[in-house]
Amino acid sequence: MTRGLAITLNALSLYALAGVLAAAFAAQLLLHELPCPLCLLQRVQFAMLAIGPILNIRFGPRPGHYAVSLLAAVLGAVVSIRQILLHILPGDPGYGTALLGTHYYTWALIGFAAAIVLLASMLLFDRQFEDRAQTPIVAGFFAGLAVWLVVALTAANVASTFLECGLAACADNPVVYEMLQHRSQ
Amino acid sequence: MEFTALFLAITVVMLTAWHGARALTLTLFGVLLLASAATYLHHATDVLKLSF
Repeated sequence: MTRGLAITLNALSLYALAGVLAAAFAAQLLLHELPCPLCLLQRVQFAMLAIGPILNIRFGPRPGHYAVSLLAAVLGAVVSIRQILLHILPGDPGYGTALLGTHYYTWALIGFAAAIVLLASMLLFDRQFEDRAQTPIVAGFFAGLAVWLVVALTAANVASTFLECGLAACADNPVVYEMLQHRSQ
Repeated sequence: MEFTALFLAITVVMLTAWHGARALTLTLFGVLLLASAATYLHHATDVLKLSF
């Protein structure tokens, strides 16, 4: 795998992560369901997954950059497994509305597991790391747009969580946007 | 509040990765990972009624 192809695949992974973050937002806004702390922490890990690909696009592919994303994916998997175990007993309706028959945290575990497999697979291709000292990386429009899309969605989560939690710790089962509620009183 | 801070910190680390130094980005990522783990431990307090 050439360095150029690796960078293109990293840009595609950023679009995939942007899709995940956008889908979470869509579920929040369309279903009027506020994300719980563990749900937010899974979003945090999806956003942190994007740091590795951004580094790969900016500085060229390096094993350390893939390791960054692997660490985020493992922590994300731990969080989603924890939430699955909280609702695994028979009769438990789970948290939030199921999407296509599966709850968000189960989809998240599938996503983190897929990320771990894909990241490990990318590390198998040594050629992408060889010409590091040669031509400098020039990120094209496709890769640049992917980076700014993920940055914008992460920044949107800053605003969203501030409206949801305000200046206090986030509620375990949030039902209202704390900042909007205080303003309307 | 803690999640607002985490998302804000991630945005900063992303912008550092895109515009700043690589070593600084990796250092900030390490801090962010520890902060995420600490937030997880803070919120994962419910007892799991399971046996393995």
